[in-house]
Amino acid sequence: MSNQHVSTRAPTGLVLNIQHFCTHDGPGIRTTVFLKGCSLRCKWCSNPESIHLKPELAYNPRKCIGEKECGFCLKDVCPESALYAVGSGDRPDDKVRVNWDLCTNCGRCVPVCPTHALTLFGQEMTVDQVLEEVEQDGSFYRESGGGMTVSGGECLLQADFLAALLAEAHRRGINTAIETASNVPWDFMAKVLPHVDTVLHDIKLTDPERHKRWCGADNTRIRANLKRAYETFPDTKFIARTPVIPGVNDDEEHIRATLAFIKPYKNVIDYELLPYHRFGEGKYEFLGAVYEMQDFTSPSPETLKRLREIIDEAFGRPTQAR
Amino acid sequence: MENPARRIAINFGGGYVPGLNSVVTGVVLAASQLGWEVVGIRDGFDGLLFPDRYPEGGLVTLTPTLVENLAGAGGCILGTAARSDPFHVRTINAENMVEEVDRSDELLGVIQKEKIDTVISVVGARALSILWKLSRKGLKTVCVPKSVENDVAATMLSFGFNSGLSFVADMLERCRQAAQSARRVGVVEVLGEHAGWLALQAGMAVCADAVLIPEIPYDLRKVALKLREKATAGRGFGLVVVAEGAKPLAGLGGAAKTLDAPMKAALSPGAAGGESFHVMDRSGQAAAEVALEIQRLTDQETTPLVLGQLAKGGTPTVVDRQLGLGYGAGAVRALEAGRSGVMVVFQPPDLKFVPMNEAINQVRTVPADSELIHIARALGISLGD
Ligand code: SF4
Ligand code: SF4
Repeated sequence: MSNQHVSTRAPTGLVLNIQHFCTHDGPGIRTTVFLKGCSLRCKWCSNPESIHLKPELAYNPRKCIGEKECGFCLKDVCPESALYAVGSGDRPDDKVRVNWDLCTNCGRCVPVCPTHALTLFGQEMTVDQVLEEVEQDGSFYRESGGGMTVSGGECLLQADFLAALLAEAHRRGINTAIETASNVPWDFMAKVLPHVDTVLHDIKLTDPERHKRWCGADNTRIRANLKRAYETFPDTKFIARTPVIPGVNDDEEHIRATLAFIKPYKNVIDYELLPYHRFGEGKYEFLGAVYEMQDFTSPSPETLKRLREIIDEAFGRPTQAR
Repeated sequence: MENPARRIAINFGGGYVPGLNSVVTGVVLAASQLGWEVVGIRDGFDGLLFPDRYPEGGLVTLTPTLVENLAGAGGCILGTAARSDPFHVRTINAENMVEEVDRSDELLGVIQKEKIDTVISVVGARALSILWKLSRKGLKTVCVPKSVENDVAATMLSFGFNSGLSFVADMLERCRQAAQSARRVGVVEVLGEHAGWLALQAGMAVCADAVLIPEIPYDLRKVALKLREKATAGRGFGLVVVAEGAKPLAGLGGAAKTLDAPMKAALSPGAAGGESFHVMDRSGQAAAEVALEIQRLTDQETTPLVLGQLAKGGTPTVVDRQLGLGYGAGAVRALEAGRSGVMVVFQPPDLKFVPMNEAINQVRTVPADSELIHIARALGISLGD
């Protein structure tokens, strides 16, 4: 990945997925569009497939029917010799394997695989293609006050495409929201934010050094961007969010520091805590290479309750039953 | 052959295994016989890529005096590099954004600038592929195989295996004693995602009741039968060794693991639940599943235990010390013979050199007709089939 992709991607964007009927990513029932590429590397990230701003090979061994039955992808398809099977015959498991250190994500093996064991994460889509998919849910979100949320990765990395997508959505009367960590040049935000109704933005940690250690880069730019955004777009709604990771940011100090940061701004209408979920009992592999996620646990209901009480108090509202 | 003075480097790709220091000693002693200079690169290639991180320098000059007492020591003087990959170096760019950049050309430049003639690299499967890519770009290199699972192809024995084996067998013996006193069935998970050497050989050494390896899909009913016979005979305890990559026979116990991951489903196409392709079985999962199922089938209490990564620690056994020294000296011999792009392998009774790519995309697994399999069966050890 390199910067030449960044921001100049219009008119197509690299889309990871479009998910219908989401209820957690902004008001009402929403359709969430996930863009690929991220500018942080949080150690607890549970979506490694969203990190790189380029299409990447995805391999599902459960779908592979094996070298003996098929083996199409092994026949002079891969220019890097990145696909192989470990023997055959006496071995019960002759499923294809991917040498992820050799694979360059060229995608040549994808069309030859009859079972779709080999696919690509990330598709180039135009604004119209995305909205066509999104508008299938139109009736639902119009009734529920919902709309479209664009998430990631870091959706702001594809700023030109994103601005075009959101502007067109607005033109079609669709309410818009984005989810962002805001670690991008200010220009990107300035381009996109005029087309956004609700900005859901992360505040993962407030201390720059700790932010760097856990998320790969410090948060000085994030803080500067957010302040400037609150001030530049007074009519846009902002909702701050913290993914609560035990042992990282599940403490009162973090909550209070975040509150101190957002409270001066009336357009920051809420501060939400997102309990971190470990997805299943799985050890995650990132597209093959063992992924660095360590054993993060989920926060306890008691911790969340205690932290939420602090927020409710700051917002001057009774503690909500959740 | 004329052998002018040379400056060679040694580094480690991948994580720690016992015996790394022996390879260093082997290289340094053999090279000093030839009058060559040896430097060590810290933490994979990080010593060259991130010199700022090393106040005392990313390169360490290795002299015979320095390494003399090293061969038997645990730890690793040069540091290891489980995640070091010069083709994807994580970087914060001028915009404070994190990205992975290809610094392989730069690395080759630094190696040249440091007048390093050849890099001797100690590699496992992953580091081997990365080294191969570097060698295709012109790096002169000779590599040495390390693997606690002994799954590197082209060699009979990777160093680190023997130390891992001794440790695992020792722990299994203790587990068996514990299981015996508690009248339980101990289910112990050991390393081995694709190859079952560690489970099989350690399990044999302590006469486990059953050994489940990736090469032989298992049917736990067979294992339960064996344990029940034993209980009937008044020996109501047992020891089952399971390699982390062991799998049930297709269609058995195959209640596809359902992973509760609604958000996962939201984020990547087709990556939901049991279909998720970047969810690998977690360390400890094999033991947990087998223990539960055996308890269900035998009505005997079971205790799962995971040895996992512990097998990669500790000090090397005498066999690994010899092997490490031999591999180190062998790598220097390969260089002396003008070879490059080769791996030093042990094919008893010889140390040989094979082209690196012969070991890439291969896993050394236990063949069905292996003598070890015959012996295990002869000892009455159930292999779950
Ligand atoms: S994506 Fe390209 S390099 Fe990767 S395995 Fe497929 S054909 Fe090979
Ligand atoms: S083409 Fe697909 S199904 Fe066939 S062997 Fe390759 S990965 Fe498996």
